[in-house]
Amino acid sequence: MPETTVIKKQYDALVIGGGIAGGEAALNLANMGFSVVLVEKDLSLGGKMIHLSKVFPTLDCAACITTPKVSETARHPNIKIYTYSEVKNIKKQSDKLFTATVFKKPRYVNEDICTGCEDCENACPVIVEDQYQHDLVGRKAVYIPFSIANPRVANIDMDNCILCGACEKACLAEAIDFTQVIQEIPIEFKAVIVATGYDMFDPKKLPNYGFEQNKNVVTAIQMERQLVPTRPFNSVLRPKDGKMPNNIAYVLCAGSRDETVGNPICSQICCMYSIKQAQLIMGALPMADVTIYYLHIRAFGKGFNEFYQQARSMGVDFVKGKVAKITEKENGNLIVRFEDVYKGKVKEAEHDLVVLSTGILANKGIVELFPGLNLETDPFNYVKQVKELENPSQTSIPGVFVAGTASGPMDIPDSILSAGAASSETASYIRRLS
Amino acid sequence: MSETTKNTAIKVLVFSTEKISDPAIDLAGLLKLHYPPTVYVIPLPCSSAVKPKWILRAFEKGYDGVFIAADGTDCSFSESCVEKTSDIIAQTHILMKEKGISPAKLKMAAICSVCAEPFVKHMNNFVEELTRNKIN
Amino acid sequence: MKKKIGVYICHCGANIADHIDVEKVRESIASDEVVFLSRTTMFACSDSSQKDMVDDIKKQELDAIVVASCSPKLHLQTFRNVAVRGGLNKYNYVQVNIREQGSWAHSDTPAAATEKAIQLVKAGIARVIESQELTPLKIEAHNKVAIIGAGVSGLRAAVELADMGTHVDLIEREHFIGGRVSQWGQLFVSEKNGEEIVKKLYETVIDHPMITLYTGTELIARSGSVGNYNLQLKITPRFVTQECKIGAFDKAIEICPVSVDDEFNFSLNKRKAIYKNYESEFPHIAAIDMLNCTKCGKCLEVCNSINLNQEILIENITVGSILLSTGFDPYEPSENEFSYKTIDTVITLQQFKRLVELSPNKLIYRDKEIKTIGFIYCVGSLQIKGDNKYCSRYCCTSAIHTAIQIHRKYNIKSYHMNRGIRTYGKQELLYTESSKNGDVYVEFDPKKEPIISKNGKQTIIKVVDLLTAKEELDIPVDLVVLVTGMVPRKDNSIADILKVPIGRDKFFNEIHPKLRPVETVIDGVLIAGACQSPKNITESLKSSLAAASKANSLISKGEIELEPTLAVIHIAQCDWCGKCADACPFGAILKTSIDGKEVAMVNNANCKGCGMCLPVCPTDAIDLIGYTNREIESMIDALID
Repeated sequence: MPETTVIKKQYDALVIGGGIAGGEAALNLANMGFSVVLVEKDLSLGGKMIHLSKVFPTLDCAACITTPKVSETARHPNIKIYTYSEVKNIKKQSDKLFTATVFKKPRYVNEDICTGCEDCENACPVIVEDQYQHDLVGRKAVYIPFSIANPRVANIDMDNCILCGACEKACLAEAIDFTQVIQEIPIEFKAVIVATGYDMFDPKKLPNYGFEQNKNVVTAIQMERQLVPTRPFNSVLRPKDGKMPNNIAYVLCAGSRDETVGNPICSQICCMYSIKQAQLIMGALPMADVTIYYLHIRAFGKGFNEFYQQARSMGVDFVKGKVAKITEKENGNLIVRFEDVYKGKVKEAEHDLVVLSTGILANKGIVELFPGLNLETDPFNYVKQVKELENPSQTSIPGVFVAGTASGPMDIPDSILSAGAASSETASYIRRLS
Repeated sequence: MSETTKNTAIKVLVFSTEKISDPAIDLAGLLKLHYPPTVYVIPLPCSSAVKPKWILRAFEKGYDGVFIAADGTDCSFSESCVEKTSDIIAQTHILMKEKGISPAKLKMAAICSVCAEPFVKHMNNFVEELTRNKIN
Repeated sequence: MKKKIGVYICHCGANIADHIDVEKVRESIASDEVVFLSRTTMFACSDSSQKDMVDDIKKQELDAIVVASCSPKLHLQTFRNVAVRGGLNKYNYVQVNIREQGSWAHSDTPAAATEKAIQLVKAGIARVIESQELTPLKIEAHNKVAIIGAGVSGLRAAVELADMGTHVDLIEREHFIGGRVSQWGQLFVSEKNGEEIVKKLYETVIDHPMITLYTGTELIARSGSVGNYNLQLKITPRFVTQECKIGAFDKAIEICPVSVDDEFNFSLNKRKAIYKNYESEFPHIAAIDMLNCTKCGKCLEVCNSINLNQEILIENITVGSILLSTGFDPYEPSENEFSYKTIDTVITLQQFKRLVELSPNKLIYRDKEIKTIGFIYCVGSLQIKGDNKYCSRYCCTSAIHTAIQIHRKYNIKSYHMNRGIRTYGKQELLYTESSKNGDVYVEFDPKKEPIISKNGKQTIIKVVDLLTAKEELDIPVDLVVLVTGMVPRKDNSIADILKVPIGRDKFFNEIHPKLRPVETVIDGVLIAGACQSPKNITESLKSSLAAASKANSLISKGEIELEPTLAVIHIAQCDWCGKCADACPFGAILKTSIDGKEVAMVNNANCKGCGMCLPVCPTDAIDLIGYTNREIESMIDALID
């Protein structure tokens, strides 16, 4: 939404993070009549979910669920949104009021007049890797983040821009503005919802799996991009030679339940997203074999176990065993060395594509947003729920609540419920103030 | 069903209900349970709202069968729904006989909100039955 | 009659476009003279597509729009809002379902799916041509919620709603509140006790001026609808009036000659007909179980607060919304399932939790001190033969947490016969801790379940361990604990009364797990906690809080907009016969006289738009708004055209 609406400095609540949890929490509060300022550091709302293909266990298309919610959030009269912005210096002015500053980064494009027509993109001569496609394909230096981005406006990546001015000439709306600088906007609010989400585990920390050296070892997020409707190649291809794979392996618990990489907990979503991808692959590549190497299948939510059984009946091969090593053959195929637990033997198997089902980690750096206030975290850097069995969203700072994966691993249905709880607790907290 | 039989294909009109049976028909799609593509659905608030004249019109226009996906005991409006929908069927059967239309062309079954599989079974059986009768 | 219609056909990424030739659908309707413009779009629901539609409506002065995309259950409101932003009446919009009832249902026959989509879009156009400008009905909403079930979910939602300014009637079937959590003893996450959690919630509830607590009370009938539900409550007396002299209750309990199985402790012990489940139970007044009381009168001699003549009361309440938090029942193994009830050293996890709670120092069961325990997992869950295909979610973690607790408390060693441990998320740490304690994990094939036998006094579990290359083990244990899952409440008559849909797992069903997880298709009826699906306490609380915020935003504004789906009488055709009035379940049709002619009249406030009056009219004098003869007949014609 173009940020032309009157900038109101004071709000009832600040929501940090415009993913599904932040969006849901903001919408709930706004629907109860509270004013909300929502700050998102990325160029678009929608968080990680908007980039997914279909989601378990109902195989709904992720965009179909996310985009209307995002539109509703963006259009809500009680919600003010800052995208491509960061909030810093959250301090308590009194028991009842917080202050902070929003740092709005320059897009070098006037959001109010950009129509998202892509003329600038077509004119730009610079091609770089596209972070939204997980570096599978390229993009221009001036670009619309992705097709269903909200706001759907262009952005200039100054690190790569050569200042040739081609976009400026191409833009009929005259929206390109190289003079933009960081804007600092002071805000005041009564309560905060932290909905900053999670980070993906970096598979380079698992040297035995040879991510990067072995070109046909990809992460599940990269695979996800190949399965979305707006997928870059319109098919599933392996990166090394563009061949259609026909024997794909999933390695679960890559970076989860592993003390040696500092993440002893279960990431809660990888089993299910891998099972989902396996089902989608069987649809996209009917001849392909899919093997899932697992330790335990955590199919615990409503409809999850039924979904897991469905994958088994479709012919996905589930092998109980920890993968020890992945090595590349000359033809690009991979040798997966694993312990077959049920057989009690170490075995090797050849696959032409290996997907690492990487775990999730806390999004660090939240604590620094609250200088002088002690936002406690758990041993894994997730925001600590100090009264989990009474007020599940409450944090160590009165008036600060947590929603979604900022407090620990969770799937989409759980994140939505968590956001519902956070908005409820925030609403009654604000009411109690007055 | 073969893709080339379209013109001779059996056409079925289904009256579903917005809160109970239509969600089940949606669920059938979600679960990729297949039924003949010449089954067309018109949702109504309640299966006791189907006018016999709509059913007769469907037969006049050339539908081979009409199926009422009834609320049954799940009806959120009234417990009398089961009885009322049955009355509509009975009454329409009489009108159909008068016009020389076989009563077998009008069927009803209660379809609960998650009865995706029963719905698909009903459709496949109904179309099969109608096909058999058409050939004979 | 609409004559300048915009039609949008959605690809839905690949969901529709993979099986339906979207462009062909567009071409086939583009030349229709009422279709002013037709477009295809990648995601009709995306903000940019919505913006384009709004622009089209304004610039091209469209008088109605049709979007062919997913089920209207998902996005009817989205596109109605588009119509409104473009300046149209929202009822001049029709959504055509070519995904759930098109591309997905017929992905096996793409050409036929495309043909069907064309017919469906034509019918949508036919319908929108006949569509009228309508105004939504506004009805008064009572800012009060009836919460059914005073377990932790219900209690927590009550407190939150009351704090948000909504009145609450909290209705509990039992004489005591707290539900399953009060039975649960020590809890993981905080090491708190279930009773403590319940106590704190009870104290807030009982002091809150906005909350009325009913115990021993069941919902037996309902009428009305969202904003205005009338509920009939049946209140069973506790036959005990108030706190009498200290010690008098205890004496009454002591003197009572009746002894029955104590359900609260899962029949591990006996209780009297006058009883409390545990010492500090809430409310703090004992109750008499009249099913078992012999009315011998002995208790009356020692306590003057007992009145055996109290009668059942019927009370009616009016609320705007209903929140169901009726919880679950623990799975009850059938006789012989893992020798339950045939071997006396086999008990359920629920019984075991009570046993631990009742055993402060040593763990003694049937006069024998327990040193080793075998847990058998997934009893009643992930069934191969039975109906319960689902995972009960809480049980792995709960059993493991209990194992840690008994290791600490009594130094007991435990064996865990499982089918793959599901300690998701941070609960993994408990699994790690238990393994470090030396607990033994054995995985069995569900087709080869462990067999329990008794050799003299020794209980033995015979199991084939998949983790040690199918080694056959004979594990001697003192007690076998069946880790039983969650099932829906046995008495779920409330579902019939409220017409709440039941899912494939037999729990209450939400509209959509991600979009509307606490709402049901019955407007104003919300679901929270384990009645929707198995959940642990934190998860139950989250869902109850989420439901509280939904209920509050639904009714706190004092009025609700409803669909203007109403019956209308065409006076000229009506010769009052009364059949419509007889058919109407809401008494919304009355006799009136217009210009000396007796005709039917619809009372809009009572009409719920079911349409039951339509088919019974001998002169076809009734139409239902939104489903008029013209609309339905034009659709019937267009679908086969």
